[in-house]
Amino acid sequence: MTVTTKRRPSPRAALSGIALALLCLLWLLPTVGLLVSSFRTADDVRSTGWWTVLPHRDWRTVATIEPGKDIDRNGIMEFAGVSGTFEELRAGLVAADGRRVIWLGNRRLGTVQVQELQWKSNLSLTVSNYENVLTGKQYEITNERGVTETLRGDDLSNAFLNSLAVTLPSVLLPLVVGAFAAYGFAWVRFPGRTALFALVVTLLVVPLQISLVPVLSDYVRIDLNGTYLAVWLAHAGFGLPLAIYLLYNYIASLPRELLEAAMVDGASHLTIFWRIVVPLSGPILASYAIFQFLWVWNDYLVALIFIGSQPNVQVLTMRLAEIVGSRGNDWHLLTAGAFVSMILPFAIFFALQRHFVRGLTAGSVKS
Amino acid sequence: MTFSINSSAKLAAIASLGLLYSTAVFAQAAPQELTDALAGKFKGTVVTAFGAFADADEVKFNENVKAFEELTGIDIQYESSKQFEAIIATRVDAGNTPDIVDFPQPGLMANFAKAGKLIDLGTYLSADYMQTQYLQSWLDMGTKPGASGDPMLSGIWERVNVKSLVWYPKKAFDAAGYAVPTTWDEMIALQNQIVADGDTPWCIGIESGAATGWAATDWIEEMMLRTNSLEDYDKWTSGELKFKSPQVKKAAESVGSIWLDDNLVFGGTKAIVSTSFGDAPAPMFAEPPKCWLHKQGNFITSFFPKDRELVPGVDYDFFYLPGIDPAYGKPALVGGDIWSAFSDRPEVRAVMAWFTKGEHLKTWLASGGTISPHKDTQLDWYGNDIDRGVAEILAGATSVRFDGSDLMPGEVGAGSFWKEMTAWISGSEDLDTALTNIDASWPSK
Repeated sequence: MTVTTKRRPSPRAALSGIALALLCLLWLLPTVGLLVSSFRTADDVRSTGWWTVLPHRDWRTVATIEPGKDIDRNGIMEFAGVSGTFEELRAGLVAADGRRVIWLGNRRLGTVQVQELQWKSNLSLTVSNYENVLTGKQYEITNERGVTETLRGDDLSNAFLNSLAVTLPSVLLPLVVGAFAAYGFAWVRFPGRTALFALVVTLLVVPLQISLVPVLSDYVRIDLNGTYLAVWLAHAGFGLPLAIYLLYNYIASLPRELLEAAMVDGASHLTIFWRIVVPLSGPILASYAIFQFLWVWNDYLVALIFIGSQPNVQVLTMRLAEIVGSRGNDWHLLTAGAFVSMILPFAIFFALQRHFVRGLTAGSVKS
Repeated sequence: MTFSINSSAKLAAIASLGLLYSTAVFAQAAPQELTDALAGKFKGTVVTAFGAFADADEVKFNENVKAFEELTGIDIQYESSKQFEAIIATRVDAGNTPDIVDFPQPGLMANFAKAGKLIDLGTYLSADYMQTQYLQSWLDMGTKPGASGDPMLSGIWERVNVKSLVWYPKKAFDAAGYAVPTTWDEMIALQNQIVADGDTPWCIGIESGAATGWAATDWIEEMMLRTNSLEDYDKWTSGELKFKSPQVKKAAESVGSIWLDDNLVFGGTKAIVSTSFGDAPAPMFAEPPKCWLHKQGNFITSFFPKDRELVPGVDYDFFYLPGIDPAYGKPALVGGDIWSAFSDRPEVRAVMAWFTKGEHLKTWLASGGTISPHKDTQLDWYGNDIDRGVAEILAGATSVRFDGSDLMPGEVGAGSFWKEMTAWISGSEDLDTALTNIDASWPSK
């Protein structure tokens, strides 16, 4: 006879579960707001909060009273059972039956509205923001002969591809070089190893901003500026110290016996690296790839300096910054633009998240 | 960019350019390079351009130069950056310099002129020729000391905008029986009338992220021009006249007489600092309007509500912010875009010379949203009545002065002036403290 016992969560586990759920909710709330806003019209975004799409109680006019011509608008007036001065009525007076009487408009031309609290929600949603972002904004141009035509501005597709072209090599380059270097620092004996490693780790604290001008002037001298290669090298260079440090910690903690056994069997360093170290380092390689991918995908500064914002090469972040218009008049489009630009990072993260968590915890518990 | 252009329109544009080339160009002593360019001598060359304007303005710029590009074979490659002010210094330092640069304010251009980075445009744009194209005040505003300290023509004005405009919801305004004021007294009377009707006259907002307060500096500048002499204004923007002086204080107090009165501002004084400058005009278009007057440059129409078609001249219109003291006439406060050259190749000279002609802006003027500072621009080139009206105000002004905060050093004009005005309006500082603090932040030479 088999006894199946239903596992009941302990009160402590339930409590931490609830706390976690609350934290997640709190953490996600701004993003949810952004998502809702991306489906709202420009004027709604400007005038009311995104939460007004949820059902809430608001005043709705049920009757309009024309104040008569001969009423004294500077004295006490009475409408629908309430009386007050113009100023009081402008602010709204609530009658005994719960209805509100409010003066709309100025003293001479205004009308009196009788309102009731009713359930409502601002559900006038639209996909026009996404349309604008995905297919390009429309501009009306009239040429000097008076012929008007409608032009479409850039859409995101070009910038999306440019971002990909910048990001993939910028991730692979430091990943490959970093893994080689980390193996070297961990398992190859050579003089000055510790000092060199310390130097690389020290580079972590150098902010990339201070190297922008020197690197840029070098690029200009060798005519590299404005090319993808320039930005790949820049990202690889700025990303390498972290890559080496992160990968070293992991690779150095691989069991010594494993590598020694291979060495005894006559394996070269290259063989050990490809056949043993790389397969065992999957999680850390994946998590560094995610880190670097997110960093490069969301980067604005490096791309701005080294590729510039010519429409044929500009990356997604730069396109997004331009979408708001010269004076920020179209900032509501950022909501939709942000979600479009998030698609790929989301996909990457969910595809690799298993490795990501394993990579973060790997090496944290020493056996 | 993928734009389709009607080929017959293209031909016609080229034909009309050719006509201009044969008549207008020879009538004035335009530089030889422009003549050569229009004759196709620089075919296949590239002029790189860099500036801060993006989006709709960038599209209009590219469309505007298209006919010139097709006629001359010069390719003008414009690149925009939202971080223009920061990027231009990095690029110039690193030697990655564009051929021509569009500065949104002459103060920044002056730095590059002083550092000896800019070409003296006076070497090929003669003073006589420039005087046939621009009013003297524009030339003065484009002339800055070079590396040697001698003044040189550092930039030429392509487009300007006028700030001394008060917008109002015309339909409701007319229905309420209000009249457009032409003098300061009439405007005060209108204000009082609106208050007596139970409304607040002004919509004011100065929130703008890190740049919060710039809209307040515009008001101070307007009042400086209306309560003080032009000499005082020029001394003030160059740092000779302190903020603490009675003249500047008087201007600030004139602003305060409206801003600090809860009855005159929609939402009360406390709402000014928290309302975004772009959202500020929206209550004007509520039904019925919650406020009736909004002072802002001609660009503000792009921020008007979009949920319904607002027809210029029907739903909204503008009037000139009247002068206060007749002794100071009808001043106009302007902003604008000034092009400078970092290179001196013939094709660059041709493009710069082209920008000094009003006719080069024809497509942009017809498309709307900009004002030409050129003398040879005809009012009928403007594509809509709003722009034409603004151009008329500019033409009818007794004096023209540039946005003062853009002329001051960055620490003040894009820093303490904004911040201290915000502090004063929000009530966290009194006016004297704010003005003293601005004076203290002025960089020592």
